[in-house]
Amino acid sequence: MDIITLAEVSGNLSAIGYGLAAIGPGIGVGIVFGKAIESTARQPELGGKIQTLMWIGFGLIEFLALLGIVAGFIFA
Amino acid sequence: MHETLLSGLTLAANGPEIPTVDEFLPPEILFAGTPFAINRIILVRLVMVVIMLAVLGVSAAKAKLIPSRWQGFIEWGIEYVRDKIVYEVMGETRGKRYVPMITTLFFTILMFNICGIIPGMNIAATATIMMPLAFALWTFVQYWRTACREQGFFTYLKKECIPQGVPAPVLIIAIPIQLLDVVVIRPVSLTVRLFANMLAGHIIVALCFSATQFFLIEAHNWMAAFGAATFVFGFIMTLFEGFVAYLQAFIFATLSTVYINLSYPED
Amino acid sequence: METLAESGIMLFVPKVYDIVWSAIILVIVALFFYKFFLPKFQAVFDERAAKIEGGIAKAEQAQKDADEAKAKYEAQLSNARVEASKIRDDARAEASHIVADARSRAEADANQITASAQRAIASQQQQALVSLKGEVGALATALAGKILGSELQDEKVQSSMIDQLIDGMDSDKQ
Repeated sequence: MDIITLAEVSGNLSAIGYGLAAIGPGIGVGIVFGKAIESTARQPELGGKIQTLMWIGFGLIEFLALLGIVAGFIFA
Repeated sequence: MHETLLSGLTLAANGPEIPTVDEFLPPEILFAGTPFAINRIILVRLVMVVIMLAVLGVSAAKAKLIPSRWQGFIEWGIEYVRDKIVYEVMGETRGKRYVPMITTLFFTILMFNICGIIPGMNIAATATIMMPLAFALWTFVQYWRTACREQGFFTYLKKECIPQGVPAPVLIIAIPIQLLDVVVIRPVSLTVRLFANMLAGHIIVALCFSATQFFLIEAHNWMAAFGAATFVFGFIMTLFEGFVAYLQAFIFATLSTVYINLSYPED
Repeated sequence: METLAESGIMLFVPKVYDIVWSAIILVIVALFFYKFFLPKFQAVFDERAAKIEGGIAKAEQAQKDADEAKAKYEAQLSNARVEASKIRDDARAEASHIVADARSRAEADANQITASAQRAIASQQQQALVSLKGEVGALATALAGKILGSELQDEKVQSSMIDQLIDGMDSDKQ
């Protein structure tokens, strides 16, 4: 940092990239859990089955967020 | 709390020490260069295994018909994994066979994750890529084995790759995704989820406390108040890490059970 | 921030010693849970379940025993009641039987006595008739002899006369 530079932004752009990448999965996971709660409230007797499906969906969506983390490191 | 963590690092004069991912690639401290080299995280892991085996082993050896308070706690844990994770997803007849595996996964991951907030250890024993990967590979092998035993390799693959009730054009996209899901995404997502959670949690907590140290101790001015705020936030995040430790163990165990359950034919 | 770019991806590349130690630890932990920890607690759970079931079974057995005893007692009671009434009925029947028996026996006796008495009377009457017949004959003969004189000494005449007399008497009587 020399004297002429008054303000400097340092850091890695991949952090911002990951922040953006996390938006989608965040919304998706929210929808998955919200819908699972909603359907369980409507039909409590199917709770076990709904929960299983919820976890499968969660795993798949979460993978996108995790992909964001790994990609941030790979393309840094 | 995080002195041990930060002791090896030189504090920069013009700002708090930012923890980096280098902390997850610590230098080898024992048997360097051999396949049995030990670094800080592996040392933590070994210590935790010894502690866990000692505590649980003594509890099991002293287990009696009428439980003491501690035994009751351990039994509650075992029954929690059995009833709330395995039997909830698979039902009792299928689940019985997998109870030992899921219990092992849950207890070990929980203990290893808890290391992240134990003073002196301060890093989760699951915080290298290989430990979560080992657990995930175990799940992977287990659900393929179950699939081959219960419905045969190709029937399972067909059932997984061609979802029912999907129109033909969509299958063009669906088949590769499903195939990728069964073969790659499931184990990788299990691994990376656990690893990334431990990594992120550690960095957040370390960042908070290194900021606290910088503002409170090194910078003697009005910024001390800011240091107090980061301390409180760091404290909250430490508690949150404890919760995440449990949550990740639960998610790992539940997803393993779900994947194994998918290997059974539709009931 | 150069180190991050360099080492970041290294996070996801397992090192040899990491693989070795993770595998060793996984095997140790799995063996511990599979061979020692869970069987031990499972044994405790099973023992406890058996004990609770045993206690419940014992209580059920006791309840069953009590029920059985009660049922037996009640059965005995009703049996006794039935028996008593049966005995009473039997006694009543026997009594009437005895009375009837005695009555019939008495009647038979009475009949027998009457019959034998009648028989005796009849035979005595017969005897009397026979002896009377003889005596009357002799008397009449003597009387007639006296009246007629000694002509009727001959036995043959005598008996024929008597017979004629008696026959005459008989025909008179008729």
